[in-house]
Amino acid sequence: MKDSANQPVEAPEYPPELARLPPGRHGLPREFVAHNQRERLIAGLAEAVAENGYAGTTIAHITRHAAVSRRTFYEHFNSKDECFVAAYDAVMAELSRRVGEAFEQEDEWPQAVRAGIAAMLEFLAAEPHLARLSMVEALVAGPVVVERYDAAIQNLVPYFQAGREGRSQKVLAGLSPTTEEALVGGMGSLISRRIFADRTEELEALLPDLVEFTLTPYLGSSEAAKIARAS
Amino acid sequence: MGSNSTTRPLPGRQQLPREFITRHQRARIIAALAEEATEKGYRAVTVADIVKRAGIARNTFYENFSSKEECFLAAQEYGMSTALGRVVEAAGSFDEWPQRVCAGLGAFLGFVVEEPALARTCMVEALSAGPAAVRYYEESQQAFVSLFKLGRDVSPRGAELPETLEEALIGGVFWILYQRLTSSQLEAISELLPQLSEFALAPYLGPEGARKAAAL
Repeated sequence: MKDSANQPVEAPEYPPELARLPPGRHGLPREFVAHNQRERLIAGLAEAVAENGYAGTTIAHITRHAAVSRRTFYEHFNSKDECFVAAYDAVMAELSRRVGEAFEQEDEWPQAVRAGIAAMLEFLAAEPHLARLSMVEALVAGPVVVERYDAAIQNLVPYFQAGREGRSQKVLAGLSPTTEEALVGGMGSLISRRIFADRTEELEALLPDLVEFTLTPYLGSSEAAKIARAS
Repeated sequence: MGSNSTTRPLPGRQQLPREFITRHQRARIIAALAEEATEKGYRAVTVADIVKRAGIARNTFYENFSSKEECFLAAQEYGMSTALGRVVEAAGSFDEWPQRVCAGLGAFLGFVVEEPALARTCMVEALSAGPAAVRYYEESQQAFVSLFKLGRDVSPRGAELPETLEEALIGGVFWILYQRLTSSQLEAISELLPQLSEFALAPYLGPEGARKAAAL
């Protein structure tokens, strides 16, 4: 057993990319501190937005949560919007890393899809504030973020397109050019609706439905249902 | 019921009933908001923009709406009820469920193509227009759920289908339209009907059954 003194007291509230250093002097290299200040500001924004919503968040809220000065804020970001974009990107990078890793760990495509969806739901359920930031607040944060949001959903398309490989002519004939787009859109709407309604605790229970929904066009409904309901 | 949204209000003083004028003013204001929101995004639109585009006095705006937000909600409600009315009417002229779905989808796509600004207001701008607008957006999608759900009665797998299937199918259709609306690919929208019909019918009828029904 490891020395319990080295164990974190509680699970970190944010993924590693958003982790924070305690404020104060720590004799760390300047570049590292600068980088870390940026991360603290990002984490501070996530907390401030969780508390006040994007529209109600001020730079003072962010710097208070990050425990840095206003001046430090402006050394890193020109505006609240810019800081939000950085936070949004950090969350989405983490989410897509987890989905990608889960997907790659499976050899069979249907299982890989299942693992990828499970990783996404798990992350969003475990981090309700970040889920809200990336799917609810993102839409009110202006066109730059909305564009990124759209791109993030469209970025899931290739995971499903991979399912076309090796399918029979008959199956392929049943797929249209927009099949994958409709699948990621449908999946996104189920997820975002629950986040909007503050029902993130229901997210993980969506797994079988989402797996069956997304695999059916490629495998047929009974095969898809079998994989979806396998534990 | 016919749509009167293309009727242009006549300039100058009219000997028209007050109620008629008010209804027209509201329609004009709503249309102006939708066009402004399409051009610059809802967040950037001001009451001054709406007033200017509608060609009305600022007072007239405030006689009809207390704020830009209230005006947006009215536009959204008007747009969605127009779309839903068309869908119900089109679907109602068929007896078989697959044809009802195809006709309903066709009518919905027709609405998007003919009223792109209103459609964009309801399906794109609504998402960034605050909690009340988002709530209305979510609720209005539920109206389509009941139309799709009837497919369970004609599906051999009706009882086994995932509970959230209809929600996902409608979300998929809305997402495709969202993408086309935001990238201004309006011409491409009417061509989507066979694809979207097949997508919506396949879980109930299987891929071949869906293809046959969509081709009718």
